[in-house]
Amino acid sequence: MNGYYRPGSVREAVAFLAGNPEAVVIAGGTDLVIDRRLGRADPQAPLVDVTGIDELRGVRWDGDELHLGATATVREIESDPAVIVRASALAEAARVLGSVQIRNMATLGGNLCTASPAAELAPPLMVHDAVAAIQGPNGERRQAVADFATGPRTTILGTGEILTNVRLRAPALSGSCYLRQTVRWAMDLAGVGVAAWVLTDRTGREAAVQEARVALGAVAPTAVLVPGLESLLAGAPPTTERLGAVSAAASAACEPISDTRGTAEHRRHVAGVLAARALSIAHARAAGLWPGGLAPVNGRAPAAASSGARA
Amino acid sequence: MRSDYAVVGKRIPKLDAPDKVTGRTTYADDLKMSGLLAGAIKRSPYPHARILSVDASAAEAVPGVYAVVHAGNVTQRPFGYGHDNIPLKDRVVRCVGDEVAAVAAVDAATAQSALDLISVEYELLPAVDDPFEALQPGAPRIHDELDIEGNVSMEWNFQTGDLAEAERRSAVIVSGSYSSPQAAPAPIETHVVIAGFDADGHLEVISPVHMVFMYRKELADCLGLDWRRVTVRQPPVGGSFGGKIDIDAHDFIAVMLARAAGRPVKLAMSREEEFTGTRTRQPIHFRLRTGAAADGTLQFRHAEVVSDNGAYNAWGSHALLVAMNTVTSMYRVGTSRLAAKVVYTNKNYGGSVRGFGNPQATFAVEQQMEELADALGMDPMDLRLKNANRPGDVTPQGLEITSCGLSECLETVRRKSGWDQRRGRMRSQHRGLGAAAYVHVGGGARIYGSDGCGAMIKIDDSGRVALISGSSELGQGSETALAMIVAETLGVPLEAVSVSHDDTDVKPWDVGVHASRTTFVAGNAARMAAAKARDELLEAAAEVLDRPARSLTIRDGVISVPGEPTATLRYEKAVRRRLLREGSSIIMTSAFYDPPTQRQDENHIGNISASYGFGAHVAEVEVDPDTGMVRVLGLWAAHDVGRAINPMSCEGQIEGGAVMGVGLALSEELPVEDGRFPAPNLHDYGMPTAMDAPPIDVTLIETADELGPFGAKGIGEGGIILPPAAIANAVADAVGVRPRSYPIRPWRLRRWIETGERSHVDKHPHPVPDENAR
Ligand SMILES: Cc1cc2nc3c(=O)[nH]c(=O)nc-3n(C[C@H](O)[C@H](O)[C@H](O)COP(=O)(O)OP(=O)(O)OC[C@H]3O[C@@H](n4cnc5c(N)ncnc54)[C@H](O)[C@@H]3O)c2cc1C
Repeated sequence: MNGYYRPGSVREAVAFLAGNPEAVVIAGGTDLVIDRRLGRADPQAPLVDVTGIDELRGVRWDGDELHLGATATVREIESDPAVIVRASALAEAARVLGSVQIRNMATLGGNLCTASPAAELAPPLMVHDAVAAIQGPNGERRQAVADFATGPRTTILGTGEILTNVRLRAPALSGSCYLRQTVRWAMDLAGVGVAAWVLTDRTGREAAVQEARVALGAVAPTAVLVPGLESLLAGAPPTTERLGAVSAAASAACEPISDTRGTAEHRRHVAGVLAARALSIAHARAAGLWPGGLAPVNGRAPAAASSGARA
Repeated sequence: MRSDYAVVGKRIPKLDAPDKVTGRTTYADDLKMSGLLAGAIKRSPYPHARILSVDASAAEAVPGVYAVVHAGNVTQRPFGYGHDNIPLKDRVVRCVGDEVAAVAAVDAATAQSALDLISVEYELLPAVDDPFEALQPGAPRIHDELDIEGNVSMEWNFQTGDLAEAERRSAVIVSGSYSSPQAAPAPIETHVVIAGFDADGHLEVISPVHMVFMYRKELADCLGLDWRRVTVRQPPVGGSFGGKIDIDAHDFIAVMLARAAGRPVKLAMSREEEFTGTRTRQPIHFRLRTGAAADGTLQFRHAEVVSDNGAYNAWGSHALLVAMNTVTSMYRVGTSRLAAKVVYTNKNYGGSVRGFGNPQATFAVEQQMEELADALGMDPMDLRLKNANRPGDVTPQGLEITSCGLSECLETVRRKSGWDQRRGRMRSQHRGLGAAAYVHVGGGARIYGSDGCGAMIKIDDSGRVALISGSSELGQGSETALAMIVAETLGVPLEAVSVSHDDTDVKPWDVGVHASRTTFVAGNAARMAAAKARDELLEAAAEVLDRPARSLTIRDGVISVPGEPTATLRYEKAVRRRLLREGSSIIMTSAFYDPPTQRQDENHIGNISASYGFGAHVAEVEVDPDTGMVRVLGLWAAHDVGRAINPMSCEGQIEGGAVMGVGLALSEELPVEDGRFPAPNLHDYGMPTAMDAPPIDVTLIETADELGPFGAKGIGEGGIILPPAAIANAVADAVGVRPRSYPIRPWRLRRWIETGERSHVDKHPHPVPDENAR
């Protein structure tokens, strides 16, 4: 390794990057270290460790606005009681990422900047309409998280730019949910990941959808928002029929590949299945019908305890 | 059964566990030695190609490089079962990962950069990774130097009874195909080998293998060494699961590098190399038919089998031996027929991974038992119990069933899982129960001239009892079990006993650790040596106590005369009385145990093991039919272990095996794309995590085997055999479709659900003859 630099402020970090264009930002290192070992990233590039920068840290609520520092760890996000209740999709995505050990190191910024098609945190942030703040040689700019990744492992970040934070609003009468399909039940990348967000007009069974968004992970080169949901859902509760239409729209929005985590056909189908489930859970949360706690990872009602084997 | 043992039957945490869990254990890769060089292997990127030239001159010129070897500058002979492999490929590479050249250098980075400078010119040859394609006329010939047809390297054929007649007697015949994937043992410790010659030309090899004596012989044979001048040392093994049974090309290459460099050389496999360059579990494809009379009595089993064994034949070619036992001898089947072909394909080749063909065979046989039961309208447990093997049975292959708790195992899991109340009644919740049972060698497996193991015991002046065993500890707990056997037999406290088994110069001969044989075979040897040491101890004490030796007893280290509370002597005193005198002697004994078994003849008949292990599982699953995800909610396991020397490690073996079996059933797979594994890493491979492990309820059934040490039988492999079959049966109960292959990954199950994959049942295959018309 040819150099390691640990700046104490964003300004210092940006200045260093401006002077050393080959330098690479490292946060938790759970993607970068592997990429360097596999030769997907230059193993010799100098490292700029951003975890010493106070202004990049933490999970903070300001009224109904959630402020996530770029180096907020995935573990911090999943453990925040208000995130669990108000931005449930984010908590549900965070709690399935890697293992506890990985989540203690992994950061929000690293997840978005690696821009894997299966990045767990992208779909929930997209449905929450989150906005990313980017600092660079030309000052700060803001960009919707939905536009952050431009392809597999590419982002809008220009040379010398770093992600500093992500902000989203979680208004009253909104609810969200993230579900995924994997081969294993933990420590696996999503074959399909689906986030849904709903804003309703009131609580209760009759709560009509005012706004809704669904985003899909691992089924296209980047996480994608499903277009055209408003017209399918707005003005009424999500009936079975409407959810069927959401499924179809979600499947249609996929451009999947076949790999070790699923065939293209299966991914397209499951994206539809999980979209309907996630949407109805998000609606239940928005409408105050959800009993609390996180949903099962595939959104299926949990099985009653098994009758025999010791737990 | 006796239960007044002092040590046997107690729950003893593994003696090696504290060092392992606190990171103190020194594995091969941790060893430091002066002058040690780092080796690296250049591997074929192609599944099938002719080697036109190897140019290593640029690599040789790199500063810090001590040796570069390739087929052009070494002497080597073919190795492997059938001698179809050579360490450094000379003419042709037959799978991705095939070894072509190697470098030894001052450090790993230098070795790697030199490796990149070796240029190998290849001419690509057509490759085949599907065994059925490899069997076709006109398929690429993978070993054109061999006189074989259709890439078939070996055939296994067995038949007994009149099949046509058995078919006529059958009221129901079920037929189907069942397949398994290429899987990997994936131990935490990857393969590591260190080789070095002393000034005198004596070779020392340090390697976590566990068939050390065969390993030594193969090394010498292939490299033209005098095997009396080879010592193999075995440091603690960081897991094997059978992957470290076979000798691999890299073992020879380490020696070649050490010889060329004049320095010791270490080759440590990366995780990718562990998947691509060391042995895997071979995919086996079964076409199976089973017939039964209307009352459920089995009439026949007929299997046509293709084993996809990859580019070369290692011991993996013998997985069919175990698979055949299951086809002919699981339950009383009488008439049975098996025709198996072991086929070369251009893929990493098969080894002897835990279970050795039995998970694959049991997946076919035990699904078919439940399919048959359903077709007969019988409960699958009743069908199994009706046909269960019993003590005294001799199976068509000549397996002599002695101790046998199969029925008890079945009844136990039936009761504990709530089978009678729940099977077939949870479909509305997409939940189901499925069962499976196995037979597996439990008293050694004679696959070699001897199935023996030696043991030596010495008791020193402190009272320390050292067992020097021919066997090896690889995490399975044998060290603890052997120490317990010695402590019990001698009548000394467990803390007094140490076990060493790490050096071929010191330890007596043993075939090696495989086939769940160690507690049985090495345990009997240890028990015999300990019994002799006990006799000597009592004789020494007899002199001191002035009582005849046969009137003495020993327990907890105290030698006493029954009925005379004051006439006692601590055992270490007896040892010292022998030693500290003129004309002294020490207590040192040895024994060699070879089980009374037969090597199977050319017709595959012979009692290969001195006892057989049995077990039964019930799995409960919940299926999400819309995503295809399966969750295992519970697993009930009952295993006939003969006698649990250490119940805690028996349970550990069963639980660990069962979790590996859950991995086979649902997630583990090395898919092949264009002849290569696209994802040779632990993230993609699909080994289960703690979150995938169901609650496991283990019952140990003790049948006190007549020949086992204290009645014990092998249990090292039992746990892994059943989950693929039991889980597939549970999935069938939950959603009504038949998994035809594993792993049951979500997209496959969803497709089966959509296409309605069902059992193929032929009821009344033959017109029932009118009894009166005869
Ligand atoms: C075993 C394992 C399991 C995993 N499982 C999952 C999973 O289930 N789901 C999933 O989505 N991911 C998973 N990951 C991937 C990884 O943990 C996450 O993507 C994680 O969030 C990355 O964060 P990090 O801080 O470790 O990033 P780093 O590795 O430090 O950085 C990743 C990339 O982002 C850049 N970067 C980091 N911070 C910034 C910043 N502030 N500004 C600009 N660029 C920046 C770095 O230069 C680098 O290119 C797993 C990884 C491992 C090793």
